[in-house]
Amino acid sequence: MTNNNYDEIIELLCDRLGSLANADVNITAETNLISELSIDSIKLLNLIMEIEDAFDISIPINALADVQTVHELASLISKIKSAS
Amino acid sequence: MSSTITKLNAPLTQAFDFQPSSETQSIPTPTKNTLAQQLAGFDTLIGALEYAAQGITGYNFYDARGNLRSVLPYSLLRDNARNLAQRLSGLELEHGSRVAIIADTSPEFIELFFACRYAGLVPFAMPVPVNLGSHGIYVQQLKGLLESSQASVALANLDYINFLEEAAEKITGLKWIGTPGQLSKLPIKKVALQPNQPNEIAYLQFTSGSTRMPRGVVITEHALMCNLKGIVRNGLEITPEDRSASWLPFYHDMGLVGLVLAPMVTQISVDYLATRDFAIRPLQWLKLISRNRCTVAFSQPFGLKLCTMRARESDLKDLDLSCWRAAGIGAEMIRPDTLRNFAEKFSSAGFNEKAFLPCYGLAESTLAVTFSKIGSGFNSIQIDSKILVDKRMAVRLQAEGRKSNEFVNCGKPLPGHIVKIVDEEDRPLEERMLGSVLVQGASIMSGYFNNPEETKNALKPESWLDTGDIGFLYEGDLYITGRRTDVIIINGRNIRAQDIEELAEQQPEVRSREASAFGVSNEDGSTTVVLVIECRLASPAERHTLSKRLQQLVYMAFGVNCIVELVPPHTLPRTSSGKLSRFAARQGYIQRTNLDDQLAVVESGDR
Repeated sequence: MTNNNYDEIIELLCDRLGSLANADVNITAETNLISELSIDSIKLLNLIMEIEDAFDISIPINALADVQTVHELASLISKIKSAS
Repeated sequence: MSSTITKLNAPLTQAFDFQPSSETQSIPTPTKNTLAQQLAGFDTLIGALEYAAQGITGYNFYDARGNLRSVLPYSLLRDNARNLAQRLSGLELEHGSRVAIIADTSPEFIELFFACRYAGLVPFAMPVPVNLGSHGIYVQQLKGLLESSQASVALANLDYINFLEEAAEKITGLKWIGTPGQLSKLPIKKVALQPNQPNEIAYLQFTSGSTRMPRGVVITEHALMCNLKGIVRNGLEITPEDRSASWLPFYHDMGLVGLVLAPMVTQISVDYLATRDFAIRPLQWLKLISRNRCTVAFSQPFGLKLCTMRARESDLKDLDLSCWRAAGIGAEMIRPDTLRNFAEKFSSAGFNEKAFLPCYGLAESTLAVTFSKIGSGFNSIQIDSKILVDKRMAVRLQAEGRKSNEFVNCGKPLPGHIVKIVDEEDRPLEERMLGSVLVQGASIMSGYFNNPEETKNALKPESWLDTGDIGFLYEGDLYITGRRTDVIIINGRNIRAQDIEELAEQQPEVRSREASAFGVSNEDGSTTVVLVIECRLASPAERHTLSKRLQQLVYMAFGVNCIVELVPPHTLPRTSSGKLSRFAARQGYIQRTNLDDQLAVVESGDR
């Protein structure tokens, strides 16, 4: 994977998460999706749909079990994207 | 062996982004069968499958984009299941040994389920992980299920096998663990597969995600056959023109019994969408119904809500839902507005509101208890709120201006089943009186597996099942008004309050019996989980950290946000025996936060 790809993903994620999250949090790669952003299941589904459409990928549900931070989500997307 | 099983050995991304290739059938099984329809009435599941296998109908699996991914006609299911059963037989397990299967929406799960029955083993479905960051808690949950069931064999496909292996590490009774692909490489044992007896256990159904005390409902072949017969003959009035579509998880009773087994015992075809794919793109379900002219499809109210929320006007013109004659609604309290909003949104797409079919049931009664009358839509009743609260009695609203509650008619019990309403001392109540809902009949479970204590709590003398729900009978029809406070229903999922409290009590700062969890209703009808903790920490920073950590843990375990309230010791109300009263804790919270309009009585019944 190229750095470019990862940075692009981070940028998109931070942008989307900013509009989804309740709190006025400065979102970075280290931001915890659960404890800091309160992303509930409905918001999460919306986010996944947007990610899948934006990157034309399919995110397997089992992989989300190991995702807690923006960085982990971006790495997952980047990994799936480069494998497809 | 089926091509679907070899496909599982492909790398993960391929399993998900599978492109239709020449090796898969590109045509779903037809609606019209070549075989005369028999509407249930079989002695055993295997008896039903042997019959269905003579026809050309079966199960079809679609991917997130609506492409047909695999086809499993009942005939192929029979052959594959028998083949796998002979490989399972080589493991030399005792008759009735439990087989744990992580139940992804896949042909492999169904093949394994029936393979177990052919081999005289008892299958049960385990959930897939659904929450962000849930790895650790999910593994704990699997461990609890393996222990509680004393499983001898555990199976998961490639996507989930690592979780299963992790969970199985310290489990002693397991004789074999692997993927369906690995099972299909075990040697075949040439044994004659013995027919099952109606009184033997057909499967276990786990009803709670609790890590410490999961409860496995024991359902016999007889109970299953009895419930299925009621569902397809009396509830749905299935005909040879019927076809089902479903996104319901195979590890839930409605998904497994209602949308896998009921279609099979009537030899009709089903089109499946994985739950995850439905949750992300709910319209795919409606597209499937529209495209394949499906007539029977069930959902929790929450699923309908998702569809209503997500549908855009541009989606509607491509849909023709006029074929959908039985839109079954169950598994959680039905709010009339959810149905009205759905009907309003989709009437222009041909949806007929007469298709709404509210029903009531629970895994402890196999699946179904009552069905409203098919083809008549949903009916509801306006009940005077004050009389309901003061006298625990349902009286139709007489005068304008008084506050009322609207409840949905869930219909009458299936033949051979009786519903009664009792008070706190288990004394039967008259019609229209509010109380606990009890059920008696042939579909009732034998008990919770290996759990006499919980069984005793649920099964009263003369095999009356205490459903844990609160409601009343009105002209013989059942109306559910709420759950007892030990279960919180949120986004269509049942969460046991005890499970949340246990999670909190595992934290070093929280003592046992000092956490209380319950749900409070929001104005829009949704529910919020509240966790009240008696806390001795003085430093604001420490208190903040604890709150955050608890919220995160609850999220990882249950996928919901919660409100954590830290209160001084001795704030939570206790019963005379020192037990926390969730009902009183909830009342206290409501008072502290000035939430009015929380109709205490309709959701009460805490014991």
